[in-house]
Amino acid sequence: MDTAEHDLIVETFRKAMTGSSGAALDAALDELGWADLLAEEPDTAIPVVFTLLGETGSHASVLNDVVAQAGGEPLGTTVTLPFTGGRWVRWERADAPAAQPPSEGAGDLLDPTLPLRLAEPGDPDLHLAAARRALGWWLLGTGRAMLALAREHALARTQFGRPIASFQAVRHRLAETLVALEGAEATLNAATASPEPFTCLLAKAAAGRASLDAARHCQQVLAGIGFTAEHDFHHHLRRTLTLDGLLGSARDLTRQAGAHIREQGHAPRLINL
Amino acid sequence: MTSPVTEPATIGEFRAAVREWFTHNDLSAGPDHSLDGQVAQLARVRRALYDAGWMRYGWPAEVGGLGGPAALRAVLGEEVASRDLAEPGIYSMIEVLAPTMISYAPPALAAEMVPLLLSGAEQWCQGFSEPGSGSDLASLSTRAEPHGDDWVVNGQKVWTSLAQYSQRCVLLTRTAPGHGGITAFFVDMDTPGITVRPLRTMHGIDEFAEVFFDDVVVPGDRMLGRPGDGWQLAMDLLPHERSTCFWHRVAFLYERLERLVGETATTTATTGAAGADDADLGAAYLALHTIRCRSHATQRRLADGARLGPETSIDKVLLATAEQRLFDTARDLLPGAVELTDPRWRSEYLYSRAATIYGGTAEIQRNIIARRLLDLGKE
Repeated sequence: MDTAEHDLIVETFRKAMTGSSGAALDAALDELGWADLLAEEPDTAIPVVFTLLGETGSHASVLNDVVAQAGGEPLGTTVTLPFTGGRWVRWERADAPAAQPPSEGAGDLLDPTLPLRLAEPGDPDLHLAAARRALGWWLLGTGRAMLALAREHALARTQFGRPIASFQAVRHRLAETLVALEGAEATLNAATASPEPFTCLLAKAAAGRASLDAARHCQQVLAGIGFTAEHDFHHHLRRTLTLDGLLGSARDLTRQAGAHIREQGHAPRLINL
Repeated sequence: MTSPVTEPATIGEFRAAVREWFTHNDLSAGPDHSLDGQVAQLARVRRALYDAGWMRYGWPAEVGGLGGPAALRAVLGEEVASRDLAEPGIYSMIEVLAPTMISYAPPALAAEMVPLLLSGAEQWCQGFSEPGSGSDLASLSTRAEPHGDDWVVNGQKVWTSLAQYSQRCVLLTRTAPGHGGITAFFVDMDTPGITVRPLRTMHGIDEFAEVFFDDVVVPGDRMLGRPGDGWQLAMDLLPHERSTCFWHRVAFLYERLERLVGETATTTATTGAAGADDADLGAAYLALHTIRCRSHATQRRLADGARLGPETSIDKVLLATAEQRLFDTARDLLPGAVELTDPRWRSEYLYSRAATIYGGTAEIQRNIIARRLLDLGKE
């Protein structure tokens, strides 16, 4: 696939995601040939679609398709997925029930727009590598969305007679955010080039950690406005925390990686020149 | 020692051939971890690798090399670091010194001198930083004034690694005001008027020195480039430092992580603390994996002809962060080793504190990222 084709795909999917979310976006992705793209060009399909979900803040149930494809199951099914803390969830192929405001009702989820629901334990032998990589791209896109919001705010917001982007403390937080996201992107590209389960696990851990760092730095830069539900930031924060927990949090996966190298007595060099 | 029998055609073949060679050629360091011992070991490793041909790969034929991509040097350095054969900081100095000579020295001078460096016959140093010019390198004030065909140098350098062992120095001087008034010379360290005073460092290995220049006469044909090229020369080092050098350092850090894993296995057998420690080990490993992936991508871009720029400040921050995390983890998981019982962990732990200082502080890197990559405007 050449650059022009790639750019065209990105723009087409971005347009679809900008207009819709949930079941409507599932339908739109079907029409755009998501299933064929995933089957024929997974190394394009997964990074493009999942990063865009993060950047645009929309959502679709396509994670089910990535898991299904990895397990040799037909696309279009719904798979019970592990969540951190030993819980299991299903990502329904429908819209979330009309969400209550998040402060009301104990049954609400942190990210009430997602059609997630708790489920009975599922298959412990699911092939999660590809789905972890996909979630990593989604987390990366979410992190980038938060960085874009914080950067825009830092340039526009004036205090003490100058834009807050001119203060070194603010600049360094945003720089740290970019470092974390770029590092995570390198691990995701590595997991795309060599999609072994351990490389994918590390990429999900790096992306989860980077997006959590992005949320912390960017919310601090956004300050008061970033604490309101009137600014878009909080959607991305909710998404970050939820996606981090899905298929193993950065903390879970990092600990697994540590156990792995301790048991092996060896720190594998997964990427080589 | 014999030369390689067959020309390695790919990086993978090169790596395999180097590994095979190392199985028959044990260059392990002796028990002397002093700086004298490290420098002697470095010269020994270079000599052996040069005689066997490995050290010449990735360098052009004009300076005694055998050609091939720079990645071959990264691979060789990784194999050296993985076997703990040479301290990676001083091993990698060649990666900035030799390219400078190739790009800026008169060709005959480069052809004469670079093999002396590659073969371990000589050590060279880099006279850049000054007492008044650290992060603000362009403010340097060591003067060079023309005197007939020669130049006369007066001033002081600091943080000059291995100056006390060096036969030559790549020296930045002031010949006119501003960034365009910096001029570089290739100076023989035995020239009258040069005084070297090693700095005492807190980790006990005094690799840095102050270098004083009092009416030091440098022949005009030892100028690197033309008058005023010095700033560009310094900027041109960055892609070399931030590709092969970083790869070597990452390889060294993987070796140290494995050493830590080995030593932790012994302590956790007695304390049963494995579960808690896994999170720390995993975080250290993840940080190393992240900079390795990033550095891999950077070297790919360089090999594809990209010009490296401010985005390598991200590599620099990732590497420094990973290094400090690793040694923090070592101190956490080997309680008392740094403070009481293990001089090597102690020295390397202390040295890791400098990772966010040398080569441009972490703050300078973040300033560059904010200004050049995030386009946040002026401070």
